[in-house]
Amino acid sequence: MAAAPEVIIPYHEVRDDLWRPLGPASNRYWIALSVAFAVAAWGILCWGYQIYAGIGVAGIRRPVFWGFYLVNFVFWIGISHAGTLISAILRLTDAGWRKPVTRVAEAITVFALMIGGMFPLIHLGRVWVFYWLIPYPNSRLLWPNFRSPLVWDLTAIVTYLSGSMIYLYLPLIPDLAQLAEETKGWRRRLYAALSLGWTGSDREWHSLEFAMKLMAGLILAVAVSVHTVVAWDFSMSVAPTWHSTIFGPYFVTGAIFSGIAALILVMTVVRRALHLEKYLLPKHFNNLSKLLLLLSVAWLYFTAAENLTIWYGNDPKEMQVFGVRTRGGYAPFFWFMVFCNFVVPFVLLGIRRLRSITTAAIASACVLVGMWLERFLIIVPTLATPRLAAAWGHYAPTWVEISITCGTFSAMVMMYLIFSKLFPMISIWEFEPHPLEPEEE
Amino acid sequence: MAIDLDRCTGCQACVVACHAENNLPVSDPQSAAIGRTVHWIRVDRYYEGVFPEIREKHMPVLCQQCDDAPCEPVCPVYATYRNPEGLNVQVYNRCVGTRYCANNCPYQVRFFNFFAPEWPEPLALQLNPDVAIRMGGVMEKCTFCIQRVKRSKNDAKEEGRPLADGEIQPACAQSCPAEAMVFGDLNDPESRVSRLAGSGRSSRLLEELGTKPKVFYLQRGK
Amino acid sequence: MSVYLSGDFPSVEPATKAIRDLKSRGYGLGDLVVFSDEPILFPPGVLRRPSHMSLTAVLGAITMFLLASGFVYFAQHNYPLITGGMPIFSFWASGIISYEFTMFGAIVSTFGCFLWESGLIRKREDAPVPPIQPERIHLRVRCRPEQTDEANHLMLRAGASEVTRL
Repeated sequence: MAAAPEVIIPYHEVRDDLWRPLGPASNRYWIALSVAFAVAAWGILCWGYQIYAGIGVAGIRRPVFWGFYLVNFVFWIGISHAGTLISAILRLTDAGWRKPVTRVAEAITVFALMIGGMFPLIHLGRVWVFYWLIPYPNSRLLWPNFRSPLVWDLTAIVTYLSGSMIYLYLPLIPDLAQLAEETKGWRRRLYAALSLGWTGSDREWHSLEFAMKLMAGLILAVAVSVHTVVAWDFSMSVAPTWHSTIFGPYFVTGAIFSGIAALILVMTVVRRALHLEKYLLPKHFNNLSKLLLLLSVAWLYFTAAENLTIWYGNDPKEMQVFGVRTRGGYAPFFWFMVFCNFVVPFVLLGIRRLRSITTAAIASACVLVGMWLERFLIIVPTLATPRLAAAWGHYAPTWVEISITCGTFSAMVMMYLIFSKLFPMISIWEFEPHPLEPEEE
Repeated sequence: MAIDLDRCTGCQACVVACHAENNLPVSDPQSAAIGRTVHWIRVDRYYEGVFPEIREKHMPVLCQQCDDAPCEPVCPVYATYRNPEGLNVQVYNRCVGTRYCANNCPYQVRFFNFFAPEWPEPLALQLNPDVAIRMGGVMEKCTFCIQRVKRSKNDAKEEGRPLADGEIQPACAQSCPAEAMVFGDLNDPESRVSRLAGSGRSSRLLEELGTKPKVFYLQRGK
Repeated sequence: MSVYLSGDFPSVEPATKAIRDLKSRGYGLGDLVVFSDEPILFPPGVLRRPSHMSLTAVLGAITMFLLASGFVYFAQHNYPLITGGMPIFSFWASGIISYEFTMFGAIVSTFGCFLWESGLIRKREDAPVPPIQPERIHLRVRCRPEQTDEANHLMLRAGASEVTRL
């Protein structure tokens, strides 16, 4: 099937289309922002209530000491791999089709990391002394325990967040310089300040491109390590079925999987809301759908390998968890998760006739639900079925946990809405095919 | 510590004594229903065999004070560590409440204060002044009655004599009517607990995990 | 007193020819700056400016690695507490911290080097910047007043659409 001829859009039209969303906001925007803000604010109020009344208002208990908050933590850190995959891997492999998608993805990464990084604070019993995890000289002469995977988490997430913010900021500088010339008032001041006096000289461009190439490789290295470290929160433990060597790669694969799903979903919304149909083309969704399908198969492989190993090994304590997860009380969630993570993407995206932007969005939403369930099913059944059967228990979330969970999804929407109003979601200088390049390829 | 399972009757006097000695919080029915009761020592009941040859085994489970405790390296703020005496200590005022230690304890002997502990009147009047009261958001567990250990050691030092075997009696060991629990110095090969630990009936709980627990369970035919 | 000329080129080939011509007449890379609204890929050797970014990144990484490993070693021994029978300092257990800080060092030094080498945070020279039109290449030449005509002529001959004085 021959590829459709590339439509060359005139430059001024490109600029108008990409910068129009930065103009005055519509009523729909204000309504969406208000709702998102309200739900996020409710989430924060609930957190405040939890700090005041004690963490007992959440559903955690003995033996399930980690519940929704840790599930959300791993989930959001996983989502943050959207930007890394698209920007870094595809930049390193020079896949040209990725160009309009990079900023959408990088913004998801930064905001998902910010939200994910909140959850270790939210789940603390005494959050007001959280700073004891940070090494600083103190009168007790104490340092944090660097042997603890939770301190590894802290280091990894701080590194990844600063790297992602730099990685989001770098390609934004030339766009901001252009915007500063075209706008007035507080926007002009903001953009001019953020663009650091970028003039577009060849030295600046060369530096920027080289820096971005280096950052792509570095960010990739950091991202793999971050989710591995989060996975090691679990696999460094002796809890049955947690102590598994597969967790590092399993979680990284799952993270990239959920990251692509989040990206597809956000792209669908951005495309429709910002009228970017000419720029976020079906071929982008097609390529991302194929990636999603590939990762769905990879996820299935890891899940099957993990469960087969547990079943075949027949360790009594691990089989208790396995039974509870696949045949007992958690079984409905387990099989629904497999349905969401594998069956739905395979059908909707594997059958070429069914693959479209809408079905990609549906499959992605299912994958996000499925991946959330996967985190839940990794954490809760193991904790509920400890080695000594006398300590078995159950888990049920409370309204506080559910509110905070909804609040964080809402906070993501809110931050994204604000970001899309202030900064162009597709960078012009990266997007435009280079008509000025000498003949090559 | 050595606990003789062939003598244990499951009366739970040790549980009550521990509550009284260590200011354990009292749970209301709602907390109990979701599993938030705090019992530093609990008696697990196991049923073995098929009817009519059913045997009931009672096993008091308390913090095993492991030498290679899995709960210790995972605490990000050093709120739990092994002190020079060999006890696994929990430092209440350092605990931030991440609860990783509780997840990592294979014996599930760690308890979290989800709320600030409360005692309905008049129980608040019978709190032990030798033991700190924990605040909400802090982890706690059996300390081998460290307040009694310290008091006995101080008495011995003041009187200028070494500690006698069996002088230190944690609340649980002191209250057991069947005298099933023996506490002593494992470093002293002549102490009663060392001799019981070396006996043919002794084994340890979940030994294969390599935690090196210091509580030895004595039972016939394990 | 320097004169600044700006040549407006429609594509890479005439701009490259102009740069080569000017360089053969003795103009240095400091006198020639290309402005554009997107990165231009010149043939190799035409506009090569030295860059130390790789070296800076590696040095930053090594520095932070040593600092992080040293700090963890110091902190673990400063108030040694036995946890779970693990050694007080183990390179593998602290390896993650060292690795993350190594990457952090590389990232921060790359960013810092970018800010420095691009000239964004250095004191700006008061050279005028030509207004950038989209999809055009602007070549700014700094020359002495008596060389103005020569530079003008060279750029127009190479294919500039127009040459203005800034």
